[in-house]
Formats: sequence, structure tokens, C-alpha cells
Amino acid sequence: MTSMASDVLVLAERAGDQIQDVTYELLAKASELAHAWGGKAEVALFGPPELAAQLPAADSVICVDHPALAGYLPDAYQQALLHVLRERSPRLLLLPNTTMGLDQGAALSVLWDAPLAASVTGLTAAGGVAVATCQVLGGKVLAEVELAGERAICTVVSGSFDPSAGQAGGPAEVVTIPPPAELDAPRMSVRQMFEPEAGDVDITSADLLVSVGRGIGSQDNLELVAELADALGAPLSASRPVTDSGWLPKTRQVGKSGLKVKPRAYLAFGISGAPEHLEGMRGAELIIACNTDPHAPLFDIAHVGTTEDLFDLVPALTERLAP
Amino acid sequence: MTVRIVLGAVIMLAGLALAGRRLLWLGSLVRSGAPAPGRVNGAPSRVWAELAEVLGQRKLLKRWRSGLPHALVFWGFIILTFTIVEALGDTFISKTFAIPVIGHAAALGLIEDLFTVIVLAGVIVFSVTRLADSPARRGRRSRFYGSHTRAAWITLAMIAAVMVTLLAYRAAQVNTGDFPYGSAAFASHALAQLLQPAGTGVNAALEAFFLLANVAVIMGFLVFVTYSKHLHIFMAPLNVAFSRRPRALGALGELPATAGAAGAGHIEELSWKQLLDTLTCTECGRCQSACPAWNSGQPLSPKLLIMDLRDHLMSPATAGRASAGRATQGSAGGKVLVPGVISPEVVWSCTTCGACVEQCPVDIEHVDTIVTLRRRLVEEGQIEPAVQQVLQADAQQGNTFGKSGRMRARWTRDLGFPVKDARKEPVRYLWFVGDFASFDERLQAMSRQLAVILDDANVDFGLLFEDEHDDGNDVRRVGEEGLFQMLVEHNMASFAKASFAEIFTTDPHAFNTLRNEYPSYGLDKPVVHYSQLLERLLADGSIPVEPLGLRVTYHDPCYLARHNRLTDPPRRVLRSLGCEVAEMPRHGLNTFCCGAGGGRIWMTDSPGSSSSQPAERPSENRIREAVAVGVSYFVVACPKDFVMYTDAVKTTGNSERIQVVDLIQLVDRARGPVPALEAV
Amino acid sequence: MRIVVPLKAVPDLVEEIEFTPDGTGIDREYLAFVLNEWDDQALEEALLVKEVSGGEVIVAGLADDPGIDQLLYTALAKGADGAVKISGGAQDTHARSALLAAYLAESPADLIITGVQAPDDLDGQLPPMLAARLGFPHVCVAIAVEAAGGSARIRQEFSGGRSQQLEVTLPAVVGVQAARQPPRYAPISRIRQVTQAGGIEEVTVPAASTQPALTVRRMYTPEQTGHAQMLTGGTGPVADQIIELLRSRGLVKG
Repeated sequence: MTSMASDVLVLAERAGDQIQDVTYELLAKASELAHAWGGKAEVALFGPPELAAQLPAADSVICVDHPALAGYLPDAYQQALLHVLRERSPRLLLLPNTTMGLDQGAALSVLWDAPLAASVTGLTAAGGVAVATCQVLGGKVLAEVELAGERAICTVVSGSFDPSAGQAGGPAEVVTIPPPAELDAPRMSVRQMFEPEAGDVDITSADLLVSVGRGIGSQDNLELVAELADALGAPLSASRPVTDSGWLPKTRQVGKSGLKVKPRAYLAFGISGAPEHLEGMRGAELIIACNTDPHAPLFDIAHVGTTEDLFDLVPALTERLAP
Repeated sequence: MTVRIVLGAVIMLAGLALAGRRLLWLGSLVRSGAPAPGRVNGAPSRVWAELAEVLGQRKLLKRWRSGLPHALVFWGFIILTFTIVEALGDTFISKTFAIPVIGHAAALGLIEDLFTVIVLAGVIVFSVTRLADSPARRGRRSRFYGSHTRAAWITLAMIAAVMVTLLAYRAAQVNTGDFPYGSAAFASHALAQLLQPAGTGVNAALEAFFLLANVAVIMGFLVFVTYSKHLHIFMAPLNVAFSRRPRALGALGELPATAGAAGAGHIEELSWKQLLDTLTCTECGRCQSACPAWNSGQPLSPKLLIMDLRDHLMSPATAGRASAGRATQGSAGGKVLVPGVISPEVVWSCTTCGACVEQCPVDIEHVDTIVTLRRRLVEEGQIEPAVQQVLQADAQQGNTFGKSGRMRARWTRDLGFPVKDARKEPVRYLWFVGDFASFDERLQAMSRQLAVILDDANVDFGLLFEDEHDDGNDVRRVGEEGLFQMLVEHNMASFAKASFAEIFTTDPHAFNTLRNEYPSYGLDKPVVHYSQLLERLLADGSIPVEPLGLRVTYHDPCYLARHNRLTDPPRRVLRSLGCEVAEMPRHGLNTFCCGAGGGRIWMTDSPGSSSSQPAERPSENRIREAVAVGVSYFVVACPKDFVMYTDAVKTTGNSERIQVVDLIQLVDRARGPVPALEAV
Repeated sequence: MRIVVPLKAVPDLVEEIEFTPDGTGIDREYLAFVLNEWDDQALEEALLVKEVSGGEVIVAGLADDPGIDQLLYTALAKGADGAVKISGGAQDTHARSALLAAYLAESPADLIITGVQAPDDLDGQLPPMLAARLGFPHVCVAIAVEAAGGSARIRQEFSGGRSQQLEVTLPAVVGVQAARQPPRYAPISRIRQVTQAGGIEEVTVPAASTQPALTVRRMYTPEQTGHAQMLTGGTGPVADQIIELLRSRGLVKG
């Protein structure tokens, strides 16, 4: 009789040759849990095994390489991941709630017959059991969920865990697994890749961001805030409703489906603070939120806030910055 | 003699034939429209309208600088019909023809001459007006912007020509002895003296020449009229006769019972009355000058909208199909009205304030036509996402704020006393609060203030709580007729659950639809606006007040003043509070819209149409008008006005100069020694 | 080509949420339910595919979803060709996917387009589960779908504005994040017309027998663990304080 598995497996998120930050967050948590259970923290890496060097903190890196895994093909990843799960039999699979995670988690829940907890923001190993805190209903409700079975899957909200423990250490043991035969006959292929428009400002490298949300009302009113941004020498960024309406290019979008920013200061005008937006900026050092709604969720994570009307405050700020 | 008859006959027949054929053709265009219900009922009011508006020139005289000259010219033309009879008599019967019985009366001769001179003076005044207000120089600020100015100058020239040839031939007649009137016909005699030295022979020739010239010019003018905007001289009396009585304001026009799609997507789907409207337009531009959208740089001009529809109606392709008869048309073929003839931005710029309808001297019903166009756009889903979301949330939760319907009466929680539930116990007054006064935080404070005032005055009132849904006034004017019906049905069911004698509401939009449109769904209780209730309570002493001694200006809400003709109650309230009301130029029925109506408050700002002119919102335009009056208080009686003008005071930088206050706040302030003006 | 669009009724998020007495679930009795906004996007995308490539769009809902009739009629008013109401209900996505898979096994579709997620997906999202049960390929977070012949071209979105276009053999499942244009409006008059005409097909499938996958210990509204320090005093003083905060961090010159 085999004892219950105690390993935790993380699926690495890769863009080109770069392992993405969120992988380290998951690895840090995986290490914490696996070691509590007396098991190993492993990372499944699909692509060239040289990339394993970017994951020194893992106990093992399970590499699967195949032409079908050169980019991200949902079908190929699914086959490869199922294969790895069967080979390694971890107790827990951790995925980020990125496009990859949304593809893989629920599918593997059925194929690998494991319960899945979605939108996880907290995860502990209470006794032998994994207990996850999940965001439901747009963050209005939290659910505390027990994953008591032999195996389970969690899709984790980026920014939930501290990555430091996932970055240092090593070296990791590299285990190469031959790709499963299904990868030779994928049911899909990549026709074309699209990169965001080049030549615009990179908001991820700015020290200071002036950000606008739906509260700005209309494109005409952007000018007011643009003046403030100019006076501060900072770029304008925005939440999804503003970029979806085309008032600013997508390269200025902060949030889950946009860019993640970590400026030294983030000024938010007319942004309510939906979870998808928070995911993109909660790491900022100083968050100043301006919103006439005192119940705006953004105030919960902002450091400093005000219910002044942005149409009063923005010109007042600009005025004080005049040379 | 025979030459004169023959020439005269040729001119007459040619003129009548051309004009007649054109009029028949125009008639076929009008008949190609869809049915228009409710156009022949209430004959007495229609007869009265003809007398007051056509004969009496009532609407024209609202702006007397151009109205008075026009009235005089109009009456002139009526009087001068006698001279046309005389001209025809002189042409076909004998050159000494005189009208039977009265044809020699000095008074008649005097009146004919007098009006000839008046008409000529009128032509000069009109010419000066057109030069002073030239669109070439003043651009969009001219009411003639977009009008056919060349046709206007030709018209003036032809009128002048009729008068000149008339006078000339009468003067010649004086000298040949054929003139039927004595020296009371001063102008004819004066001109005759100038011609007399030429001798009788020359004068006889002049008489014949100018007689035929007069007939020719009149016939030429007749034909020209049927081919130009001056057609209004025939169309206006027709259009006034068939217009909505008492006016095309308040409720929307009756909908034809149609099984097809709502609204109109092609020109023949407009009703024959709407088509007649387009042919009646005189291009005077009064609607354009009054329009809040046009005045804030938006692309909508009611005049240009009507003219564009007219041009499309008369265009060869359309007209060809029209004269082929309705039965052979499908709505396939022919341009789609929006965006083919009218751009969507034009249609959606309208606030339904009715300033255009109020101004129009020939009773064109612009608002109804715009809503007709909107109904088809809504049917096809061609509305901007922001408005879609509002409508969908309204259908789901019964309010346009996207909040849970159960939150509607939350504002009553912080009152010191329980508000009666009209569903559970009978009340005298049912307070229909409306979306804005229920859900907007600033306005909730004022709702509480009013509740306290009423409670202190021992007024027996109650609410429907969450069974009150959006009244639907603006939903209907956005063109979502189905949602409007759903809301009305829901509210009527709620009314049936409750027991009350009278309804009062804080919202003029709700007031408008409850009073004018809900009765056709069965509402048979009186509906008043809260200013009327306050007036009553102040008059009978239920609310004791001390005079405030403030100098204020009052902004008439469109849906109270223009649509429902209620301008006095709020002013009486202000006077009871000891306030002096200093009027803005555009007040009362000419009030200037805040820009929120017709669903515009749900739409994202549309950019100003002309790039050289920064778009100034109607509300900002209005605040500037108020500041120029030199008062510190801008009094409103509508929740949307409060919101719009409070913002406009900020964005125009007038926060130190003027403050927006509602009647409720002033009543509260006047009530007690303790300042009860709750910060909003 | 047969396109099936599963629809889900979810709580209207404008409502205040209350919990069941034992605290492990949401009290659904007084909630208002609306169409899952991602399913609305999916329906729009499906209708666009039909407009371009032909085919029929069938919407499918579960009978126990509150107000499902209204949602199905609204979809018909928007242009769906048929609506199916599947017997039974499901508390979690696993069970939903089992019921839908059972229906689709009997009435196969070439393309299944549904929302990539729903706000109450605690145990995972529908499209990948459906695909796994049916043995079809799937693509999630789609922002455009084109179909031609036996394959579909799907644009998949990543974070940071990147995306890729995949070519996928049919039958396949697509999880839509956003349609190419905002969902079209169905005027109330048309919804009422369609409702009066009837036309929802009711089907029965064997009840789902999935075990409850997750044990929910409790559900609760998040406590505010922190809150911003609120600045007061009027526009001027607040602006002064903000400038000072930035200046002290060297983010403002001077």
C-alpha cells in the first residue's frame, strides 16, 4: 500500500525563453507545502531543458521537450501535463490563473480526476490537508475550501504569494521525460503570433504612473489628467474599461489581461478597484486612490485615499506643479 | 385688348399648369407616407389653431423683431388678394374693372396702398435681417446656417417685384382714369404724379405693360413657390390643421398600430404628417437657434434634420418610388434613413426638450420624428453600449442606476420617523420619487429633507418602496418602446396594490409621463409636481416660514415648463419664501435645456462637431447665462438639473460666484431658526 | 455547421450577498439572476460566426437555473436559431459539464462556444471540462473565432496585449473572453414577441453522477484587512498632502 503522495507540482509559465514571475510565486508556495508534507516541490517545464537553469529553487524540474511545445499550444500542453501527472503522481498541482492555467486546470481536473479550486488567493497545509481561500463573485465573496483527497488542483491568482522562496536555492535535479505520442498528432497549430504595438511608452518601467478608470467619464476628460501626467513627467495608464473603449492604447492597460506594474507610486483616478485591476498594480509601493465612492474596493489596498472629485483634485494638483 | 387677354390667358394657364402639376406631385409624396392616427379629431381646437396661429401669427410673434414684419407682410398678402382679383378683372374683363359693391370704397383703396407700402418695408426689414445674420459671416450662430439663402433672396426680390409692378400699374391707371379709387389710395396717387408728365398715351402703355407684368410676376412667383421653401404659404395652413393639439409636447405622438418593425427606417415608413412636416419647413432657423444640442456644438440642428428628410423625399429615386404608389414598395430599395440620410450622431444628440417644437411657426413636430427614427435604431440594436447597459439593467432591476431594485428606498432609513408604505395602508399622497432622487447620493439627502418638511407639515404621504420602478419617460424617448411598456405595466400593477388619492413626484420627467402617458394605460389619479404641493402647503400655512430675502434666478425644467406649461408654481413658492426672482433671458417656456434629457445623461459625451469651437455643454452655457444676471443662487426643481448644474458650476469655474439650490433646500432654510441646509 | 452555446444564470452582482445559515453557501432565494457576462460575449461571437460562415446557433441552458427561460428567449431575440432547456440542475461546474456533455453526446455540435468563466466558478471553468469529457480540443480566453470547413481559427489572448491565432480541427470547444464587438441589444419588444411564440425545446438527459468535488468549509465577505488613510480638508489641502507625499519620495522635482 503506497502512502499518500506528498509532492507538489507547479506548471511553469513560459514566454519565449523567459520563465514568468508568477512561476516563482507558485514555486515558493509549493516548497512550503511540499516540505510540510515531507515531499518535493517540482516544476513541470515544457520546452528546451536548458531553461531549467532558471528554476534553481525547485527540488526537481521535470522537462518535456517536443516541437509541439515550442510555443503554447493548449492541446500539446494538456497532453504533456497529463503525462507528467501520471508519471510523477503529485498530491497537488498548482497553476497560475493565466490563459495557460484557465486552459489546463479544469481540463486536467476531469482527465486526472482531481478536484479543482479556482481563483486561489491563499493556500495552507493544515495537518495533512490543503486548505485554499478562493475568490468568488468578482471578489465580493471568499470561500474557504478543503482539498482532502488524494490529489487536487489549484489555479492561483497572480500576486497572491511572495516569490522570494521560489527564487533562491538549488541546484535543481533535472528529470527529462520523453514526450507522449499524442504530441506527434496535435489537433491544433499556431498560425500567427501578435505582439503589442511597439513604440509606445513601457508603463512597466515607470517610477510613477497616473492611472484613470471609468470615473473619468469620457475621452474628452482625459486631457485634464494628461496635463497632470505631463506635469509629473509620468505616463498615463488605465484600467480595462478605458482601453476597451479605445481612449488609450492597450499598452497602457494595467490589470490581469493587461500589464503588471510595480511603480514607486501609483495615482489612481476614478478607478473602483475590480480584482482584475488590482492584480495588475497591488505591488506598487505607494498607492494613492481618488474616487468619490467611499466604498470603492481600491481603498482597501490603497495606502492613501480621498473622496475628492477628480475633476476638482486633478487641476488642483496640476496647479501646484506648475514651474 | 385681345392681346392683353390672350397674353394674360397664356401666362395664367402656363403658371397654373406648372404650379398645379407640382402641387399634385407633392401631394403624392405626402400620401406615400404611413398612416397617422389622431389627426382629424377635435375639430374645434384645429379651427382655433388656424385662427390663432395662421391668421393671428401667434407663434411668429413670439420673436417680434422678425415676427412683426412677417405678420404685417402676411396680412398684407391677404389684403392684397383684392388687388389680384382686380388685376385679373383688368386683364380679362375690362381695364376699368372694379370689384362689385366695394370696388370704389376709399377705405379699400387706402388699405391696399397701405399694405403695399408695408410689404415693401417688410422686404427691406427682411433683407437687413438676412444681411445682419448672414451665415457666411456668423457661421453656426446664424439661424440661417444651412438654409437656402439664394432662394430666400429670390423670394424677397419677387415679392418686391409684385409690389412694384402693382404700384406702377395702379399709378398708370390713375393717369389714364381707369383707377377705381380716390386720393385715399395715397401711394398710387403719389407715384401717378411722377408719371403724369409722360402723358396719357405713355401711361396707357405703362398701364398695360405693368398689368401684365404684375400678372406674370404673380404667376411666376406661384410657380417658384411650389418649387422652393416658400411653399410654406400653402403648406403651413395645412400642417397647422393636422398638427397635434394643443401642441406636440408632453406625451409623444400617438403610435400607428403597426405589425411591422417599430419606428421608421425608410422615408415611406414615416407618417404622411411627418412627410408633410418636411415640405412645410420654411428654413427660418428658429428651432436651430433654440436647440441646446446645436448651441453646444453638436451636429443636431432640428431645421437641417427636417430639410435633409425633405431633400431625400424629393430626390428623384425616392420620388419615383413614391409616385409608383405605396402598394408597390417594400422597404427594400431606397436609402436607410439612419445613417444614409441622417447621421446617428444627429439623432442621438437630441434631449427631447421641445424647444424646436415650441418655436416652430408652422407646427412641425421634430421631437416625434426623432423618436420615430430612434425606435428603429433600438429595434436594430444600433445604440451605444453605455445606453444598452442602462436599458438592460433597467429591464432587470427597474432602475437606470445599475443598482439593486431593493435599494430604492434605502434613503428613508436615516429619517427619524417611519415613512408610510402605500401598499400596506392608505395614504392621501403617493410620492413617486423617481430614480435620481432615490439613488443618487447627493439627491437622497434632499429627498430626506423633503420627507422631513412634509412630515412636519403633517402631510399624509407614502411610498411604493421597491415596487416603484423607473417611470420610463426617458426610456421611451430613447426609443425603447417595449421597455417603456414593461415599466408602465409594472408601475400600474404597483399602483393597483396601493391606496392613494393623488400622486406627487420630485422628478419633472416622471411627472410628464405619469400625467400625459400613463392615463392611456389606466392611471386615473391626479398627478402633481412637488413644487405645486409646496405651493399649496405654503399658501395654507402648513409650512411656516420666515422670508429669506435672497435674490435668485430660477431655471425652468423643460419637462415642467415647456412640456407641461407649469411655470408659476415654483415662482410662487420662491415669492412665498421672500425671494426675489431675477429672470434669465431664456426663461419660462423658452427655458434652455440642461442637456440630460432624451437619454443623453446615459450617453458618453459626443465631441463638438466643429473643431474650431470647443464643445461647451448646454449646462455650462446656461450657468454663464445665470452668472450674467448677477445672482448668487441658481434655483432648480428637477433632480437631473441639480446634478447637471452642480457639475457645470465647477467645470466653468464659477464655484465662488453661484450656488445651485433646489426648492426643497430653500424651503428648509426658510423654515426654522436652525439652519437645516444639509451639505450635499 | 451546428454551434451550441451553453448559457449560465449567475447572481446579479449589484445585489448584496447573504449566506446560508450554516455559512457554507450563498443564499440564492432573494437574489436576482442575470446571464453570465462571458456567456453573453460567447453568444455574440457565435452569432458573428454564423453571420460570416453560415450554420445554426443553438443556445442551451439547465432547467434549474433561475430565470433560464428569460435568458433563452433573449438569446432567440438576438438571433439564435434554437434554444434547448436540459433537465436538471447542477451546483458546480463539474456536474454542469456532465449534463451538457450528455446532451451533446446525443445532439452533437461542430463548435461549442461558451464563456471562458463565470463569476461563481468555484470548482473550475466550463469549457475545458466539457472538452475533456467530449474528447475535443479546446481553446480558452478567445477574443475572435472564425470557422471554415472542418476547422476553426481562434485568437487567444495572453496578458500584456500579446495574442496568437490557432487553427483547430473541429469539433472543438471555445472559451470566449470577449467577442469582436460588444454584445448586440435585444429590444424588449422582440423579446416579448419571441416569448409569446414559445420555442424552447426541452430535453432530458441522465442525471449527472459526479461526486461533490470540493468541501466548502465556509463562505464569507472579505474583511477589509487594511484601509487607505483617508485625506480630508478640501481640495486644496488634499492636493497639498499628495504633492508632499510624492516630493518626500523624490518623485516630484523641487
